[in-house]
Amino acid sequence: MKPLDPRLLRYAAASRSFLILAALLGLGQVTLVILFSWLVASILARAAAWVGILGEVPGTGSGALLPELAPALLGLGGVVLGRAALAWAVELAAARAAVKAKSQLRRHATRALADSVAGSEASPRSRDSAHAVTVLGSGLDALDSYFSRYLPQLVLTILAIPLHLGVLATQDLTTAVIVALTLPLIPVFMALIGFSTQAAQQQQWRRLDRLSRTYLDIVEGLSTLKVFNRAHRQRENLREISDQHRRSTMKVLRISFLSGFVLELAASLSVALVAVSVGIRLIDGQMDLAVGLFVLLIVPEAYAPLRQVGANYHAAAEGVAAAEDVFEILDDDAAHQGRPAGESLTPVPALRGGSVDLVISGLQVRRGEADVLQGVDLRARAGELTVITGPSGTGKTSLFDAIMGFLPSRGEILLQPHGTFSATSGLTGPQRRELIAWSGQRHGLRSGTVEENIAMDQPRNQDLTREVLDDVGLQVQLDHRLGVRGAGLSGGQAHRAAIARALFRARSLDCPILLLDEPSAALDARSEEQLIHTLRGEAAAGRTVLVISHHQAMREAADHLVQLSPAYAGAPR
Amino acid sequence: MTARTAEQNRHRQARSLLAASRPSWRAMAPGLIFGILSGLSAVLLLGSSAYLITRAAEQPPILYLGLLVVGVRAFALSRGFFRYLERLSTHDAAFRALGEVRVDAFSRLEPLAPVKLGPRRRGDLLTRVIRDVDGLVDLPTRVIQPLVSSLTVVGLTLVAVLWFSPLLALTLAGLLLLTLVLGTLVTETLTVRAERRTAGLRGDLADEVVDLVGELDVLIAYDAVDAQLQKVAELDARLRREALIGARGAGLLAAVFSAGTGAAVLAALLITGPTLQAAVPLGPDVALGFGEVDPAVLVTLTLIPLAVFELAAAVPLAWSARRRVLTHARRIAEIAPEPAPPGQPQPQPQPQSQPQPRLPADEQRPHAQAQPTSGAEVRADSSAGCVPVLELRDVTVRWPESDAPVGAPLSARLLPGENLLITGPSGVGKTALALGLTGFLRIEGRYRVAGEDVGGWSPERLRREVCLIEQQAHIFESSLRANLALAHPDGPEAAQDAELEQVLRAVGLWDWAQTRQGLQTPVGMFGALISGGQAQRIAVARGLLSGARVLILDEPTAHVDPETAALMLEELLGATGPERSVVLFSHTPVPDRLINSSLQLRRA
Repeated sequence: MKPLDPRLLRYAAASRSFLILAALLGLGQVTLVILFSWLVASILARAAAWVGILGEVPGTGSGALLPELAPALLGLGGVVLGRAALAWAVELAAARAAVKAKSQLRRHATRALADSVAGSEASPRSRDSAHAVTVLGSGLDALDSYFSRYLPQLVLTILAIPLHLGVLATQDLTTAVIVALTLPLIPVFMALIGFSTQAAQQQQWRRLDRLSRTYLDIVEGLSTLKVFNRAHRQRENLREISDQHRRSTMKVLRISFLSGFVLELAASLSVALVAVSVGIRLIDGQMDLAVGLFVLLIVPEAYAPLRQVGANYHAAAEGVAAAEDVFEILDDDAAHQGRPAGESLTPVPALRGGSVDLVISGLQVRRGEADVLQGVDLRARAGELTVITGPSGTGKTSLFDAIMGFLPSRGEILLQPHGTFSATSGLTGPQRRELIAWSGQRHGLRSGTVEENIAMDQPRNQDLTREVLDDVGLQVQLDHRLGVRGAGLSGGQAHRAAIARALFRARSLDCPILLLDEPSAALDARSEEQLIHTLRGEAAAGRTVLVISHHQAMREAADHLVQLSPAYAGAPR
Repeated sequence: MTARTAEQNRHRQARSLLAASRPSWRAMAPGLIFGILSGLSAVLLLGSSAYLITRAAEQPPILYLGLLVVGVRAFALSRGFFRYLERLSTHDAAFRALGEVRVDAFSRLEPLAPVKLGPRRRGDLLTRVIRDVDGLVDLPTRVIQPLVSSLTVVGLTLVAVLWFSPLLALTLAGLLLLTLVLGTLVTETLTVRAERRTAGLRGDLADEVVDLVGELDVLIAYDAVDAQLQKVAELDARLRREALIGARGAGLLAAVFSAGTGAAVLAALLITGPTLQAAVPLGPDVALGFGEVDPAVLVTLTLIPLAVFELAAAVPLAWSARRRVLTHARRIAEIAPEPAPPGQPQPQPQPQSQPQPRLPADEQRPHAQAQPTSGAEVRADSSAGCVPVLELRDVTVRWPESDAPVGAPLSARLLPGENLLITGPSGVGKTALALGLTGFLRIEGRYRVAGEDVGGWSPERLRREVCLIEQQAHIFESSLRANLALAHPDGPEAAQDAELEQVLRAVGLWDWAQTRQGLQTPVGMFGALISGGQAQRIAVARGLLSGARVLILDEPTAHVDPETAALMLEELLGATGPERSVVLFSHTPVPDRLINSSLQLRRA
């Protein structure tokens, strides 16, 4: 893990100003720590001298001690208040920076994700919606402790160690040497422990992972176990698994706690070393008590930031992991900046409202690293219902994704005004999308009313909305409110609503092409019949209707049946 | 139950869950003792170092400092050493207790399956429960351990201070109390308030992000991306404003502790300074008398608060960890409430047979009735004297929290070896009926298996005779053998290879298995290494192995295309053999030759 990812500074402006602020505040903190230690040490030394510790001045009565020390005590009070104020300021700045950085990253990443999917450049991992939702939702909250606990300590470590060492050197060179020698030992030892035990650790983590998966497996399979009257037998099994889990975890922890042990030991041993060496030099009269006490107070402070960084390592690692997921999305987009704009011979609006054939030749479609389709030729004519069939896995949905420009493709996807052979236009994916009403395999409904879901961003039109809902046989109130992901409609209803949404777009924008992926998958025979009737009507109105389906009824209704066979699918590479 | 008592009940349940996840004090004792020793070492290291240095300044013979030097070194070593032991033994005790909590959580979930753990909610819900259960491990390690050990060490140190200056001990105690009260209660209130401020917005934003990212291609296809991005940005800005307001409380804890530590040092100087007296030279007769403050004691008393406040800083952290653990416990209690104690009557989902006196048994009624299809009629008539393996008369099922039965009353007779098809539009209650027939839901009406009324049977006994083949049966991450053997009526150990081969042949998986590793073939997590069709066949093979008289197939072909579905049904129904009866629930048509009779479920 890198201590600080430069991409964080690049993508989240708030983190830049925070680092500067944290450095300034850290500088103040270190100064106040040194001042505090010096004041305490000198007050104590003067008090000791007052009662004649070295037998120089016979005590003039301790009653007058406090007035004597009053200015120093007042100064100490001021320093204490200052330290409290700075401690507050650092955390406040961190919390504010975390809020701002999260917001900046989320905005950039959502925009980047939308752009890269629209431009068919998203990596498969970014396209995984569950993953993206986690990354942009709760995942970013891991940055809170990264900002509040890790980053300030990191800055402080860089600042405090040289400053403390420098101050120690001016006061007592021996102590400075002891600290300078033991400090580097900590990272060295931690690296050694980490290095020598890495293989064993990884093996243990793999076992751990397997054990927790077994637990998940048993709980997930609860229903099946109950069907066979087997659930109650699992308790012993679970207990056994948990015990194995504990033993493996403890093996891992025995090693990983060692690094904490080294940190603690190095810090406390150096305090002991310094105390003893200072004590011996005090006996010899080579040193002032004030300096001895000051050194004793400063030494633990020199180790404190490093100990804090070690203690908050896990919080930091989580934050870094979350940030890296976001950076991946942002990098994805940054890598594809400056896309060539497509050249269009026919302006898009000219094709709208007319009849357009969809002509595909030599199409090759990639999904991630693999070709999912190769050498596909297809012509879907205006006024016809074209049905694409084929066993699952032959890339029917990928074909639609390529037409829509969600996936990168090679070969030609042409929109040809019906009845002509010339004036075909090489449109880009986004341009094609303007002419297409599409409905995918998943319904993709979202929170809002049914009407909002049908009309999407087009102007509302209640009559048309009712009409398309009737056409798909869905009886539902227009102001019926849906939850996230269309919650509140059954699977079949949601699917029909999605088809209605495509019909609404086709009719309100006069899109010449209608693409429907498995529209009748969740329909019973009667609803399917009604849908076929509607689609025939769309074709009769001059639209190019292209449907993926393997239902018998739909295939029988087709004017043109395209069998997509595995031969089209990409050869294994 | 009113909302208030329900809330109290949840709270009580969460507490009982927490009590169960706390290791016994006996198990925690080593960790606590090591923790206290480590804390004492830290205080003593600072104290003895300060005392050593001040005494050394008196320039006594070095001989007299020997013991102090040894002490300083020993405390330096023991602090880290005991800390390491503390962490190990605390975690060991915590994981031991966690094992019990897991079993407890499993026992709570068990009664919910499968009725209240529908397939849709299953994954998300259970993953959450497991994460929450794992979160309970923080109770001993991050709550009890730091609270007990740091407060004990702080208390012991204050007692030691009491010997030299009772007034200072009381002042320190007062300052600690003030710091802790401010540190825990005030920051807790501020944090909770800040969280409450943002919780709703956070949820809304998460929903909008789900709607944006989850269906990005739909938004792009309908030109609605910018509007949705705008919605996300607006919510994000509102959340940012609220979160910045909430962040005002951050750092208060650090400030309070920093001020408290400084005040304690100042108090030590101000209180013990005036009582300072000249030191008795270090020698064989030196003694630390009650209330006597010499320079070395003054230095030690002044620096000790630094160590004490560092230890006390663990308390507010433990307090906020306690809140998190309580949230975990409450969530578990919410999803999986404690099973009612055995004394209380609990509605058991037992099949019940109820006489229906109003209507004569043979009267024709206008509700669903088995319609013999061609070919089945003859057999149904000729076997009239035979005892039906399954007999339903006016049977209805209802979901646990619903008053109205699902679907119209249903009657059917099934002879050994016959296959019955039950169709109906989605939502009419096919799954409910399948669950009712296998004793997971309460059934009303007359329900007989092999001529015997099942009213008095336990659900377990019923399931031995009538076996449910789930729509998406779980495939365990294990071998093919283990996945089948769990269905054996005499337990997995009793399953013979020959029996397993027989059922695998029947479902057409034997040849496939031979090309892999036979019965040892791994199937992967959630059946990742096999296809959906193969998983479905394993589920049927389990049913065959179970020796049940009747198999209930709930939509076995819901997720395959019609051609495959027809082929699969033919294979599945062919595999069940001539003596076993099948009730098949389906919303797609099934070839007539595969079934003997069919009936259609209608709405109530």
